[in-house]
Amino acid sequence: MTSHATTEAPRRFLESERAHVLLVRVIRIAFPHDTLPDSAYERTADSLLDLAVRTNRMTLAVANGLDSLGSLPAGDFLGLTVEEAFEHLRAIERTEFFSFVRGNTVLTLYNLPEVWEVLGYEGASVEKGGYLTRGFDDLDWLPEPRVEEYSGEFSRVEIGALPYAVTTDPTPEPDRRTLPDRRTAADRRTAADRRRAPKRPGADEVTL
Amino acid sequence: MTAFDHDDEVVVIVGSGAGGGTLAHELTTRGIRVVLIEAGAHIRLEEHVNDEWEAFGQLAWTDARTTSGSWRIARDFPNLPAWVVKAVGGTTTHWAGATPRFLEHEFRARSTYGDIDGATLLDWPLTLAELAPYYDRAEIAMGVSHRHARKALPANNNYRVFANGAARVGYNFYATGPYAANAEPYDGRPATIQDGFNFQGDRSGAKWSTLVREIPRAEATGNLDLRPDCQVVQITHDARGRADAVIYVDADDNLHRQRARVVAVAGNSIETSRLLLLSASSRFPDGLANSSGHVGRHYMRHTTGSVYAQFEHPVHAYRGETMAGVIADEARHDPSRGFASGYYLETLSLGPAFLAAFAEPGSWGPDFTALLDGYANTAGLWIVGEDMPQANNRVTLNGTVTDGHGLPVAHVHVDDHPNDTAMREHGYRQAELLYDAVGSVSAHRTPPYPSTHNLGTSRMSVKPEDGVTNAFGRTHDVPNLFVSDGSVFTTGGAANPTLTIVALAMRQAEHIVDLFSRHEL
Repeated sequence: MTSHATTEAPRRFLESERAHVLLVRVIRIAFPHDTLPDSAYERTADSLLDLAVRTNRMTLAVANGLDSLGSLPAGDFLGLTVEEAFEHLRAIERTEFFSFVRGNTVLTLYNLPEVWEVLGYEGASVEKGGYLTRGFDDLDWLPEPRVEEYSGEFSRVEIGALPYAVTTDPTPEPDRRTLPDRRTAADRRTAADRRRAPKRPGADEVTL
Repeated sequence: MTAFDHDDEVVVIVGSGAGGGTLAHELTTRGIRVVLIEAGAHIRLEEHVNDEWEAFGQLAWTDARTTSGSWRIARDFPNLPAWVVKAVGGTTTHWAGATPRFLEHEFRARSTYGDIDGATLLDWPLTLAELAPYYDRAEIAMGVSHRHARKALPANNNYRVFANGAARVGYNFYATGPYAANAEPYDGRPATIQDGFNFQGDRSGAKWSTLVREIPRAEATGNLDLRPDCQVVQITHDARGRADAVIYVDADDNLHRQRARVVAVAGNSIETSRLLLLSASSRFPDGLANSSGHVGRHYMRHTTGSVYAQFEHPVHAYRGETMAGVIADEARHDPSRGFASGYYLETLSLGPAFLAAFAEPGSWGPDFTALLDGYANTAGLWIVGEDMPQANNRVTLNGTVTDGHGLPVAHVHVDDHPNDTAMREHGYRQAELLYDAVGSVSAHRTPPYPSTHNLGTSRMSVKPEDGVTNAFGRTHDVPNLFVSDGSVFTTGGAANPTLTIVALAMRQAEHIVDLFSRHEL
């Protein structure tokens, strides 16, 4: 607080326009969205400042964190490029100040209905009869899938390898530190056969 | 409302969720007087809200707990190891609804998986065949889809992506269930309106919970005295070492004593073990029913993780029944995958508020905001598989931190087992391949949420020295003390646990009635 008169105690600084402007930029740099309205960042900053003044601990951390952004080696935080500002936040991400801003922005910004709207989330639905007639099944770029349980030729495998091919990464060796290889020779043949199994039909041939 | 006297010798049940609520229903409908003590409030259906954080504040158990260990929760959510409910109906008020049964071999985990370093595997003192009739009864009570002539739920948007991806990678065993929300009216409850708020309280009653079914029906018998906002903090015993009463704290911090002929604890794994530990006495210095030293140990939380994939086209995954999509092909024991036991894949969707909080805890910057920018085009799924029980994955009493009543809080220590880590990696990769097969442009691996499946800590065992209860949840040490929730799971299986908890509670109730009729209790 060296740059302020003693009458400007930390709480008064947090009520200042400068604190608000600094915090809005910190949040914008840390949580960049091209699509969100300014009001979402403004409201989030207001909410965080209200929260900070409730305890001495956060008042001290946030006031000092914001105030010191004015005297960085590269100048005032408000004058930095987006890249420089982002790098500075990286450098201070472990501070109590930044943890407070990050954690509470996540809880506040993404809980704003104006943000939900931009992101394409419609929120509460029970008063409107749910989504039953409002698009719960309107996805039209994939085929209609089966909803019943499988009733084809294969039985459900509970122990061992599958008798049909599933796309997978190369089978890792069992971790011998933790897992004894209890497979029998027959099991190993099955696993080897599985890797040679014919590939499944292409997606457009699958009946869903 | 029925009210029994504090000196009446009743059956006292602690907790009103899947286990406690079911047990209360089963006993009261057979003419047994029950006092059901619930730490949380009685929140009515019409009070539930379609808002993630508001509902969390209304329902979640947010009393302090502490954590340690290598699990990421200890870093990301050190005071919220579990996401469970403190309200009448317990965690069934916010459960999603997926109801697979345990597989036959999952009751024989030690015999099937063998000796795995660091794991304290044990076979259940119970078989699938013994539990099967109770699974049937539980599925009928809960109205589980795809079972007993109940219809399948329709395919919502998230399922459309999930099921098409499943088919394209070669999975066969996928469907919109089994799932305990009504596709059509059933059992006096309506069909789902697909409101999309499954992890919040369900206003319509389409989703099964003990709040909508078992508790009102138990109250209607006249044999239930439900006491919400009352937290049991100690179980006392008589000179013979039998439980004789519970001590509970009401909302105004007054202590009360309720006499009991039987005590059944169903506080969800963490609180159940905390209560037994808080009930230490001169006769049971390490906690009630803890002569074996197993109370609080072998805490399990399932191996979990989520994948959120983005597409070029809209998904709107948040519309509709959240978890009405299950893939069972990976729920098998196949060591050729590099780990023991198996996992399910299930559809999952969060609103932006929860996605921001849980998708990548601690993260910020453009990589993080891209997860939210693509929200409308995002599909999601959850990996849920069997985790390894470990002796030191454990609930203990914290020596320094106390709750609002001045009592020691639960401390939860968890280290991931290498088998858990290998399974999670496999699940992440299969999920990415699944979404890739239907054209995803990106996929994000989300770490486990605060645990919704909390198991073990009072496990069933044949031998008293290996666990806390017998196959009926009756404690080895105290003959009229029962455990009636997921704490009794000897091992975790891959299945979401609620159906099994309900089936076990039904079986336990029958056993208690039988013991009463033979004057053995």
